[in-house]
Amino acid sequence: MIANSLDAYLILSGLLFAIGTFGFLARRNAISMLMSIELMLNAVNLAIVGFGAFVVGLAENGSVIAIMVIAVAAAEATVGLAIVIAIFRNRRTPLVDEYDAMRR
Amino acid sequence: MDVLIPLIAILPLAGFAITALIGRRLDKEAHWIPVGLVVVAWAISMVVALLALTHAEPFGEQGFGVTLYEWIPAGNFVVEAGFFVDTLTACLLIVVTTIGMLVHVYSIGYMSHDPGYWRFFAYLNLFMFSMLLLVLADSFLVVFVAWELVGLSSYLLIGFWYRKRTAALAAKKAFIVNRVGDVGFALGIMLIFVSLGTLDIRETIERIGELEPLTISVISLLIFAGAMGKSAQFPLHVWLPDAMEGPTPVSALIHAATMVNAGVYLVARTSPIFAHAPEALVIVAAIGIFTAILAASIALTQTDIKRVLAYSTLSQLGYMFAALGVGAFTAAIFHLMTHGFFKGLLFLGSGSVIHAVHEEQDMRRMGGLRRKIPITYATMLVGSLAIAGIPPLAGFFSKDEILGESFKLGFAWVWLIGFVVAGLTAFYMFRLMGLTFWGEFRGPREIWDRIHESPRVMTVPLILLAIPSALLGLYLGLPLGDSTLHHWLEPVFHESTELLHHELEPYALFGIDGVLILASVGVAAVGIAIAWRLFGVELPGLPRRAPDPEAVRALTVRAPFLYRASLNKWWFDELNDLLFIRLGGRVAAALWWFDREIVDGIVNGAGAVTRASGSGLARVQTGRVQNYALGIAIGLIVMAGSYLWIAGR
Amino acid sequence: MPSWIPGAFRPLIVTAVLAGVVLTPAILTVLLWGGDFTDALFLVFAVTMLVSALAVVTMRDIIRCGLAMIVCFGALAGIYLIAGATLVAAAQVVVYIGAISVLILFAIMLTETKAAPSRLVFQTQAGPAGVAAVVLAVVIAITVTATDWGELGERLHTATDTLARVLFADYVLPFEIVGVLLLAAVIGGVFIAKRERGESL
Repeated sequence: MIANSLDAYLILSGLLFAIGTFGFLARRNAISMLMSIELMLNAVNLAIVGFGAFVVGLAENGSVIAIMVIAVAAAEATVGLAIVIAIFRNRRTPLVDEYDAMRR
Repeated sequence: MDVLIPLIAILPLAGFAITALIGRRLDKEAHWIPVGLVVVAWAISMVVALLALTHAEPFGEQGFGVTLYEWIPAGNFVVEAGFFVDTLTACLLIVVTTIGMLVHVYSIGYMSHDPGYWRFFAYLNLFMFSMLLLVLADSFLVVFVAWELVGLSSYLLIGFWYRKRTAALAAKKAFIVNRVGDVGFALGIMLIFVSLGTLDIRETIERIGELEPLTISVISLLIFAGAMGKSAQFPLHVWLPDAMEGPTPVSALIHAATMVNAGVYLVARTSPIFAHAPEALVIVAAIGIFTAILAASIALTQTDIKRVLAYSTLSQLGYMFAALGVGAFTAAIFHLMTHGFFKGLLFLGSGSVIHAVHEEQDMRRMGGLRRKIPITYATMLVGSLAIAGIPPLAGFFSKDEILGESFKLGFAWVWLIGFVVAGLTAFYMFRLMGLTFWGEFRGPREIWDRIHESPRVMTVPLILLAIPSALLGLYLGLPLGDSTLHHWLEPVFHESTELLHHELEPYALFGIDGVLILASVGVAAVGIAIAWRLFGVELPGLPRRAPDPEAVRALTVRAPFLYRASLNKWWFDELNDLLFIRLGGRVAAALWWFDREIVDGIVNGAGAVTRASGSGLARVQTGRVQNYALGIAIGLIVMAGSYLWIAGR
Repeated sequence: MPSWIPGAFRPLIVTAVLAGVVLTPAILTVLLWGGDFTDALFLVFAVTMLVSALAVVTMRDIIRCGLAMIVCFGALAGIYLIAGATLVAAAQVVVYIGAISVLILFAIMLTETKAAPSRLVFQTQAGPAGVAAVVLAVVIAITVTATDWGELGERLHTATDTLARVLFADYVLPFEIVGVLLLAAVIGGVFIAKRERGESL
C-alpha cells in the first residue's frame, strides 16, 4: 500500500534532501559538507527512480538517468575531495569557517 | 572735423601708451611727449570749441556728431563708438583741456624730484583721455566706460605713492565709494535700455517723454546716484578729503577741476530727463545744498591746507548740484567753469606753498610767507577773492547767479542755506590766507631760511590761471540777466527749462536782483571781516592786524560740541566703519558659518552616509561559502513558497 | 549502559535495540493497516535510511558519520530494489558504497587534525539552517501531495535487458560523455590532490 504510492517515494526523497541541506549548511568540516551533498544527490536519485517506477513509459529511462546521476556524482566526489585535500594542505584545517580569505 | 574731434581724445591716449612703454628709459625727459601731446590736444579743442560756440559749420545750433565705428553689433543691442560736440561740450572742453595742460606743465616742476616721474605723466595722460572721452561721448555705454576709466585713473593717481599706507588706503576708499555710485549709474543705464531700447544720449533725450513718470524719476535718481559718487555728494563724499593723499597736481586736476565735475556734466547733459521728473530735481537740490553746508562747516576747523581746499571743493560742488536741482542749469555750468579755474589755481598755489616749506602741510606751522613767496601769494589772493564771491572776480558772477536763480524760482530754502555757505566760504578762505601768508612764521627756523619761490615752470601756470579767475566772469556773466554763456547754452537747456515751466521775470538790477547781489556780497564781506579779526590781515591800504589766537580759543570754548563735530568731519567715517565694516563683517561671518557648517555639512554628510552604509552592507561578505549557501537556500525557499502561494490562490 | 554487562556484549545489545526500533513500526504497519510484506520492508528501509542520514549530519566523529552514510546508501539500495530498479540498486551498492564512501573515508583520514573532535560540530548558522531545512521539507511535501501526477500504473519492474537496449540505443551519447567526464574527473582529481615536491602530507 505504501510501497505502491508515488507520494511515499517523493516525500521520502524530500525528507532526505532536507536532511542533506541541513548538513550542508550547518556542519563545519568540509568533508561533512561533501557527505551532505552526496545525501542530496541520493535523494534526487530516489525521486527519479520513483518516477521511473510509476509513470507509464518511463521505466527504463528512469533507471538510465539514475545510473548517469550516480556516475556524475562519483566524478564530482572525486574532484571535490581532491580540492578539499589541496586546501587542507594549505590551511592545515578542514573547517570551512576558517576559509575566509575572500572576506571584505 | 571728423578727424579733429576724435583726435582730441586719442592724442592723450597715445601719450599714455608711449610713456607707459618707454617712459622708464626716458626718465627725466619723460615729460616731453605727454605734455606736448596735451598741448596739441588743447589747441585742437580750443579751435573746435570756438567753432562750436559760434555755431559755425558743421556744428550749427544743435551740435555735430562723429561716429567712429560700430562697437557692439549684437542684434537688437547696437552701440556705436561716437563723439558729439555741442556748446555744452565746448564749455567743458575749454575747462578740461586748459586746466589739464597747465597742470601738466606745473607737474614738470612739482614732480621733478620724484622717482616715479614717468609714471606720473603716463597716468595723467590716461586721465586726460578718460575725461575727454567722457565729455565727448554720445552713448551712455561709452560714457560709462569713460566713467570707470576716470575712476581708475583717479585710483592710480591718488595712490601714486603706493608705498605710503595712507595713500594706498585712500585710493582704495575712493575707488570703492565711487563704485557704490557707479552701481546706481549702471542700473540707470540698464533701465534706460530696457525701457527705450537705445543707449544713444540724444535719442534717449528725444524719446524720454514716452515713458511713465515713475520710470523717468527712477532713471533720474539712478543717474544722480552715479553723479553723487563721482562728484562726492553726501553721503558718498567721504572719499574726497582722503584723496588729498595724492600729489597736489592730482588734487588740482582731478579733484577740483575735472573729474568731480563729471557728475555735474552728466546731470546737465541729461537735464531733459530730469526735467520730466521735478521731484527728482528737488532731491538733487536738497542733497546738493546739504553737502554744501556740511562741507563748509567742516572746512572751518581743518588744519591741513589741502583738506580745507578739499572741503571747499565739496561745498562748491554742492552749489552746482543745488543749481541743477532748482533748474538753473546755465548757472551750474557757469559755476563749474569758474570754479574749475580758481580751485585749480588755489590747489596749484597750495602745492607751491607746500613745495616752499619743504612738504609741510599743516597750516599751524606756516605763516608770514607773504614776503618769501610773492607770486604764489598774489595768485592765491586772487583765487581766494574769487571763491569768496567778491566782485568783479569770476566767483561773484557765478555764485550770485546760482543764489539769485534759486530765490527767484521759488526755492527760498536753497537760497538761505546758500547764503550762509557763502559767508562760511569767505571766512574759511581768508582764515587760510591769514594762517599761511600773514603774521609770523610758526615753523622751525631752518625751514624759514630755506624757503624760496617755486621755479617758473610752476609759477607761470599760476599766473595763467589767475587771469581767468579774475576776468572770466566779466566775459561770460555780462550782461547781467542775459549773459553770453546763457546764449551759448540756450539751445542745450531750452527744452528742459520749458518743461519746468520756468518763466523768468526780466532781470531787475534795481529790484529783487540788486537786493540779492547786495546780500551775497554783504555776507561775504562779513565773513572776510571776521576772518581778518581772528587771523590777521596784511593788505596794502588796510591797517595791519596780527592773528589773535586768544579770540579763536574763546570762540571754540563757547561751542565745544560744534567745534569737535567740525574737526571730526561729523564722524561720518566712523559711522561708515561701524555700519559697513563691523556690521558687514558680522553678517559675513554668519554667512561663512552657514556655508561651512550647513552647506558643507550636507555635502560631507552625503559622503559620510554613503561610506557608513557601504561598510555596513559589506559585512554580508564573510568570505565563507556556507553563509552564501544559506542565503541561496533561503532565497530558494522564499521563491518556491511564493510560487506555491500564488499557484494555490 | 549498566556496568555489570561485559564489554563484548555491548555492541550486540546496541544492535538489538536498534533493530527493534527499526522493525517495530514495520510490524505495526503490517498488522494494523493491512499492508503486505513489501510495505513492511519499505518501511524498514525508509526508517533505516532516515535515521542514518540524521546520524550523518549530526554526529561528532566524522568517521562514524562516514559509516552511517554507508548504512544510508545500503538502505537506499534496498528501496531501489523494492521500486523495481535492480540495476540501479546494484550500481548504488557497487559505486556508492564500494567506491565513493571508501574515497570519502580515505579523505577523512588524510585531513584529520588532532583537535578536530573536541570543537564545535555545528556552525553559528545551524539554527537558521535547521529552520530552512524544515521549511524546505514542508514545501516539498506540500508540492508533492498537491500535484496531480496523472495516470499512474502499478509498480513496474525494470528488466535488465530492456534497460541495456535503451541505454545503448537512445542514451549512447550521454553514456560516452559520462565516460569522458569520469576520465576528466579522475585526471583532474589526481592533479589537484597530488603532492608537490618536498611537501608533506
